[in-house]
Amino acid sequence: MAAAAEQANPLEQGLTLRRTPDPFALCIFGASGDLTHKKLMPAIYALATRRLLPSKYAIVGVARTDGSDESFREDMKQAVQQHARDDFRQDVWDELAASMHYVTTDFADEGGENALATRLAELDGERGLGGNRVYYCAVPPAAFTTIVGELGKRRTATGWTRLIVEKPFGRDLESAKVLNAMLIEHFAENEIFRIDHYLGKETVQNMLALRFSNGIFEPIWNRQFIDHVQITVAESIGIEGRAGYYESAGAIRDIFQNHLLQLLALTAMEPPIDFTAESVRNEKVKVLKSIHTPGPKSVVRGQYGRGFVEGEEVVAYREEQGVAPDSMTETYLAAKLYVDNWRWADTPFYVRMGKRFARRETTIAIQFKRAPHPPFEETSAEGLRPNVLLVHVQPDEGVSLAIGAKVPGQGMTIRTVHMDFLYGGAFRTAMPEAYERLILDTLLGDGTLFTRADEVEEQWLLVDAMVAAWQRDRPGFPNYAAGTWGPPSADDLLHRDGRSWRRH
Amino acid sequence: MTGAPAAAETWSGEGVRLSDVETALSRLRAATATDGAPPSMRTSVMTHLAWVPEHWSEQARTALAGMAERHPSRAILLLPDPDAGDDRIDASVTLERYAIPGVERSVCSEVVELHLLGKRAKAPASVVEPLLVSDLPVFLRWRGEPPWGLQELDQLVRIVDRLIVDSTEWDDLPYPYRRLAELFERTAVSDIAWARTSRWRTLLASLWPGIADIRTIRVTGTFAQALLLQGWLRSRLDRDDIGLEHVEAERLVGIELDGEPAPFPPGDVPQPSDVLSDELDRFTRDRVYEAAVLAVAIP
Repeated sequence: MAAAAEQANPLEQGLTLRRTPDPFALCIFGASGDLTHKKLMPAIYALATRRLLPSKYAIVGVARTDGSDESFREDMKQAVQQHARDDFRQDVWDELAASMHYVTTDFADEGGENALATRLAELDGERGLGGNRVYYCAVPPAAFTTIVGELGKRRTATGWTRLIVEKPFGRDLESAKVLNAMLIEHFAENEIFRIDHYLGKETVQNMLALRFSNGIFEPIWNRQFIDHVQITVAESIGIEGRAGYYESAGAIRDIFQNHLLQLLALTAMEPPIDFTAESVRNEKVKVLKSIHTPGPKSVVRGQYGRGFVEGEEVVAYREEQGVAPDSMTETYLAAKLYVDNWRWADTPFYVRMGKRFARRETTIAIQFKRAPHPPFEETSAEGLRPNVLLVHVQPDEGVSLAIGAKVPGQGMTIRTVHMDFLYGGAFRTAMPEAYERLILDTLLGDGTLFTRADEVEEQWLLVDAMVAAWQRDRPGFPNYAAGTWGPPSADDLLHRDGRSWRRH
Repeated sequence: MTGAPAAAETWSGEGVRLSDVETALSRLRAATATDGAPPSMRTSVMTHLAWVPEHWSEQARTALAGMAERHPSRAILLLPDPDAGDDRIDASVTLERYAIPGVERSVCSEVVELHLLGKRAKAPASVVEPLLVSDLPVFLRWRGEPPWGLQELDQLVRIVDRLIVDSTEWDDLPYPYRRLAELFERTAVSDIAWARTSRWRTLLASLWPGIADIRTIRVTGTFAQALLLQGWLRSRLDRDDIGLEHVEAERLVGIELDGEPAPFPPGDVPQPSDVLSDELDRFTRDRVYEAAVLAVAIP
């Protein structure tokens, strides 16, 4: 047996072995908040249901609200029953609940952090967690610095430590740099997991599969064959009571700086040499560095007025509770961006995003150049549009390709038809929620789907340059009705180039 | 997410030609379009053949019902009746439509049942080849023990990418494993009996390196599972002196290693359709299984 211990385990060959995380304690700061109820706890429950958690772990909710282990478990049980994608199973829940604890504390208080440190040390002893820690900061930015500082001072002597940071990660380059510097003071870069939940979405990851596992796309994925790219991140909802946040963020900080630039980077990046965190993030950073700052004529800002969404009359942004009546915050942003590199030179990336669109939709449309010389009569192909490869990120997750096809019958009439691949059609297993993947990756120490410090700083560099240009003009807000696709000037942005936004 | 289809359209006929079947499939798909909406999508990921002698038909339909939604496919059930008086093919075609959450369109799976009567049961490959979905893998589920050496098996193995059997359904083990091993170079093979040992093998692997010196494994389960686990340990540990004690049970419920009970593996026992579904996700040869079979088949 002594000799066997030195060999690789021959019994593991051929087995589908999932990587199981090490034992851990996951501390959720902001345990009484919306994110914990709607996303984090349902995601942890989904991982437990699929037996993706190790046998030894602890979930520790941390918040200022008074509570106990029992009240926390009851609160989270309701959250799971209400928001989990799986049916509620008492046996799974009982096992999970037995590992759940609650600490009432406020890190802003003198010594407030000691209560948590003491409880975690007890759990280490009781459960054999090895000092492994995941700290999830689901708190407003104001509370973040204090928590990180105190956690940094109390790192365990044994085990690993990982810190999950939610957006917003700063509000400009300077604040992002300050945050990064503060984090790096206490944690190594590979211990910091900056979440952009878009990267946890299956369809966003599918962009990598689509591009790099299919031999047919990559040879034509460049300026020679692609006319332009359109990326849309449209929400039909308004600000949902988050005026405090949105007034200072606007569409550029809420969507553009993070989700949209991630989608653009994945669309435009070069093939990484492998799928490790550093290789993928290196390529994304190169794209961000290559984006040319758009001039004022290449950016359109909008703010929604009154209108109708799904038949219901909705108020204007300036009428939302907590919003200044003369607010100049943009709820819509469109821009023409250029990625100045060999692959994409002179190929525009038109992007648009914001609130109160006609419908919720996140898509990446790759529009190819027209066939150089169709040998058909002009009238026979008048309904023919250029080929478009459309990646549906949400909803209707999947990919469709618009191609020209002959209409059956006499003569030669050509129309555009769609070949659809719907995720739900080909893969009938339910897709995991983004947070499931991201929490599991954190537990496994895989940072591929998280944002690196230099990536965040490149994003803010671009945002700051765009925002600086806005100081010199004041658009007439509101300039689009809720329930539409944005202001007319956004259409002009493309019309000037002889193009138009995709039809919906 | 699994369950009964939201809707199903059916066509059937006696003494049909395969072109009738293809026409029926097209018509049923077109009929799913309502009020100018596009027809349901046919998003096949494979052709799933099943060779189903009469006494296996109910089990086959049950497994198929639990699996069709997860693997949108054209499923072709071949129901042979070589002793029938007539030489003909009777067919029924069902288009099962499954709703996709949040999407108006639905996805459809096709189920074709072909009753091969008389001499039509002798050349099954020629019957199914026109119905295979182009460029997609073909899986063949063979219920019961295959008729080793007969042309029906030989023909079908030639056109499929993977043969799926359940050696629990076989008599006189381990002899049939010798015959099965003859197919390893011709097609990839899955064995449901082997798949059902997966959780236990993972657990036993976690006992390394203590398990390296095992002398006897005692298995409470089917004889096929017992043999395969013995063969697995012999082949993986490169030892032919590992003994087997077998206690008959309908499914694998316990393992002892040199008299010490192994802990029960975590998780729920997978449903038959789940096991089959997992095998339909495999595309390459399972060399570990093949070695386990050879370790008990070849004395």
